[in-house]
Amino acid sequence: MENATPALFFAGIDIGSTMSKAVVVDAQGAMRGYVVGPTGAEHRRRANKVMEDVLLKVGITLDQVAYIISTGYGRVNVPFADKQVTELTCHARGVASLFPDVRTAIDIGGQDAKVLKIKSGRLTDFLTNDKCAAGTGRFLEVAAETLGLELNEMGQISLQSDTPVKINSLCTIFAQQEIISRLSEGQPLTDILAGVYIAVTTRVVKLARQLKVEPPVVFTGGVAKNSGMVKAMETVLGMPVLVPEEPLITGALGAAILARDEAFKLVQDGHYKIQKKQLSEAYIEFTEKKL
Amino acid sequence: MSETATPSKTEKKRAINRLKSMYPLRNVVQQDYIDTLKASNEGKPTVWSMLNYWEGDLPLKAMGLNIVYPENYATLLAASGAAEPFLDASDSDGFPTHMCGYGRSTIGYSYRMMKENGGKIPPDAPLGGMAKPALLLGSGIICDARFKWFQSLARYFDAPEWCLEMPMMATYEGSEPDLEAYQVKFLVKELKDFIAFLEKLFKQKMDWAKLEELTDLAVKIHETTYKISELRQSIPGPMHATDFWSSMPPSLFFAGDMKVSLKCYQDMLAEVQERVNNKVSGINYPERYRLIFAELPPWHSLKFFDSLAEMGWNFVFESFGYHAPKPPDLSKYSDPCEKLARLSRNFMFNVFPEAKADNIQNPIVETYLKIARGFKADGFFMHPLISCRAASCSLRTVQHWEQEKLDVPSLWVEGDIIDKRVFNPQEVLARAEAFEQTMDHYRKVRKSRGLDW
Repeated sequence: MENATPALFFAGIDIGSTMSKAVVVDAQGAMRGYVVGPTGAEHRRRANKVMEDVLLKVGITLDQVAYIISTGYGRVNVPFADKQVTELTCHARGVASLFPDVRTAIDIGGQDAKVLKIKSGRLTDFLTNDKCAAGTGRFLEVAAETLGLELNEMGQISLQSDTPVKINSLCTIFAQQEIISRLSEGQPLTDILAGVYIAVTTRVVKLARQLKVEPPVVFTGGVAKNSGMVKAMETVLGMPVLVPEEPLITGALGAAILARDEAFKLVQDGHYKIQKKQLSEAYIEFTEKKL
Repeated sequence: MSETATPSKTEKKRAINRLKSMYPLRNVVQQDYIDTLKASNEGKPTVWSMLNYWEGDLPLKAMGLNIVYPENYATLLAASGAAEPFLDASDSDGFPTHMCGYGRSTIGYSYRMMKENGGKIPPDAPLGGMAKPALLLGSGIICDARFKWFQSLARYFDAPEWCLEMPMMATYEGSEPDLEAYQVKFLVKELKDFIAFLEKLFKQKMDWAKLEELTDLAVKIHETTYKISELRQSIPGPMHATDFWSSMPPSLFFAGDMKVSLKCYQDMLAEVQERVNNKVSGINYPERYRLIFAELPPWHSLKFFDSLAEMGWNFVFESFGYHAPKPPDLSKYSDPCEKLARLSRNFMFNVFPEAKADNIQNPIVETYLKIARGFKADGFFMHPLISCRAASCSLRTVQHWEQEKLDVPSLWVEGDIIDKRVFNPQEVLARAEAFEQTMDHYRKVRKSRGLDW
């Protein structure tokens, strides 16, 4: 297949429980663009949409994308993906590409939380919460609904608190009742919000401590966009955390980089399935630059 | 890379390469339930017995009593997908959902039998069900929840419950040589009291010659299963964990005719030996990773292991608590009770000397370290149970020391033995995929440390 544009691209698509993300990287692994959008019930439609949007954003066509890896909760519903890779592997790779020295990554998404131990860019251990939404973004959504606030305004409000209230309930629903009780007791909103963040963080840090938290710690996932959560995380961990410029896309970024690696491996192994000419050229260009 | 068995063209390729010799052993247990039910219909008493590490099973069998094993029956409920109505019945009767899955399912069984079905076996009970017990034999071994569970069962049936005890020390001081005589004396007294109780309850005398004969058979069965376990260290692993779980009740409970069981285990030993000689794997895919399963399996989802086998995960060993250790030499003892006492005691105390040598306080940790070394494990599949402290509380310590001493990592998967509603196979498969990267990493680390796998 001939193409006017010599450069080739690689894409990663992360269909999460709440948000879908797509990232495109070039042959050097540099990010050329990304998009983020809500997942909704139609995973396949969403996958198509984020892919179309990211291609538009980068200004390329699907033909120029040599290899696509899907990841996340809905990764099986990306019909155009060449391969599916678990989100744990993709997150580790994505985080390490942004912070090469990272040793611990904490990711809090809409319905799950995960802690990754990383060494030399490789996933060496991990734990996930798989039984309960208490340490996830869902907990924050419930709190926001209860307090009649938008998620994105909660963080700033909580930063005004010096004395967070204690939220004891381990269950998200019971915690909602506890928030209402604290409100009726007349506790300030700022302290209740700060207490909510401490509660979520404590649950996740408990998971992280099972793996021994080592710095540098990178905090990712949609919840890391919240300044109140970042402060709570640093308070509970007792150490600073690094947050990527866009903490939602580390999984998709990792998937895109893995897509590039996988494509190059195909070239190396002599499997010229996709756009062999351009892929070979990109690979040669890449290895020459590396040398 | 391992050789794998080749299925015929018409046969769908099965991920796990089942041992042919496993099926007769599974049948021994199934037939035992059917025979016991038939005997009950003829007016003979049924005893419900929990795992007691042979202390109680052999006296019962020597007196010709028919036994069923609620823990094993609970696994059948789970494996046949029939557990939920029984779990729900337990919940309805006010028992907590975080209680032992074996307890919940058989309490539910008893509740439905006695409170909802007028004393008749629930119609959806697999293998015809368990007949109403004339005696419940509990045990103080392993955990308190177990004997409280049998007390609860006894109340449904208004049946007597006897609880056998065993000295059980958490640290290796319990294995000091001068304590052995006291422990054996205690166990012999336990056995004699129990036998006296059985004679009074069932109005029949103990057949001491039979008890001795059965104890000798027990030793032979355990010698054989121990040899099988040793052979399983081969690469590729010749016997998958699911084959062990399917075939273990005749050695763990001595379910069924023990002479038949011994023959079946001898056949299994021969088949495993043949596989070792020919480098035949327990999975029909190349063995990419050698896994150890700790501790109690998800009985409701054993098919799940096929998906892992397709990924090249061979579960080469499993569940230390289900494995009889190498039996002691009992030939110098003449009292059948002392022979039996020493056989039972051996399970709890055999590993202490090695633990002491390895400077490990916890014998479970020592056992798993030995297993990881012997089996050249790439990783552990840890299955902590929300409903079982006894099988779960040591796992973190095991995980820590496996990592610390041997650089063998663990995949941590919470679940339950009976209740499949707390197990998410898709989620676990996703994590398993990522865990391969972790195992790859630690292979390199072990090599850099000079370990040979």
